Amino acid sequence: MSVEPTGATPTGDAPSADCGENCVEALERLEAYLDGELPQTRVADLADHLRACYPCADRVSFEEQLRNLVRRGCVDHAPTDLVDRVRARLQTELPHLQEQAPLG
Amino acid sequence: MSETPTPRSSAETPVRQELTADERRERFEREVLPHLDRLYSAAMRYTRDPTDAEDLVQETVAKAFRSFHQYRPGTNLRAWLYRILHTTYISMYRKAQRRPQETLKDELEDWSLYDEVAGTGGRSAEREVLEALTDDEVKQALADLPETFRLAVYLADVEGFAYKEIAEIMDTPVGTVMSRLHRGRKALQKALSTYAYQRGLLAVDPDRPAGR
Repeated sequence: MSVEPTGATPTGDAPSADCGENCVEALERLEAYLDGELPQTRVADLADHLRACYPCADRVSFEEQLRNLVRRGCVDHAPTDLVDRVRARLQTELPHLQEQAPLG
Repeated sequence: MSETPTPRSSAETPVRQELTADERRERFEREVLPHLDRLYSAAMRYTRDPTDAEDLVQETVAKAFRSFHQYRPGTNLRAWLYRILHTTYISMYRKAQRRPQETLKDELEDWSLYDEVAGTGGRSAEREVLEALTDDEVKQALADLPETFRLAVYLADVEGFAYKEIAEIMDTPVGTVMSRLHRGRKALQKALSTYAYQRGLLAVDPDRPAGR
């Protein structure tokens, strides 16, 4: 099965179009890199590539921005009285604990 | 001021059984309650409902309290708490009901929001699209992901857990975590691109029939 071009634009937005093998390799490792999970031995190579390759570096910065967006967007604050209710709940747990104490 | 835990003679020593119940409760409150807000955020992503999220937090904290003697100081308290949150969620909301294996379409493999934006508007548009997306849209896009993908993406991208920690929290192999993250993130980007298109920030409909 042949890979069809995305067809979205004539500018050729597939990274492999304007970059070579290095980019393909870099892109494969990008996710682990951004996750801080890329083996240390490979981080330096990828960092070198990113310094030399604007399209890949631009993609990385976009992905980082996107992650920041998700991180910031997914915050909720607990209702102020939740902590009181949790404390009250812990009090009710105490008797059970004393039963199982001291060497459960 | 920083509270350095006194090194224990052996990390295997069961914790705090020498404390009275009240001391143990105080200690627990001091260490765990500062995480309450974050746990609530997580519970909102898990349950997608404020009342359920509160119940889940309460139940999680109670369960953590009961098993606090099993927690070993110096190990990752957050990962320990989220593991309890996860199992509590499963037992409260998923019960015995076995759901079919969740999947996400493979067709997103060669798709990315970056290409979509770069393709339609050029470089300056990238920042603009991301800045225009609202917190509610991000939350909704995440909420719409199938559960296992949603939780993996949340634990990685919002909570910053490592693959291995997520694997432990979700009780699943690391390879599965990586694959859920990869696909989940693609699907999340796809959903965000749909919002961007609806707001006129993208020229091309991301949901156009594949290939064209």
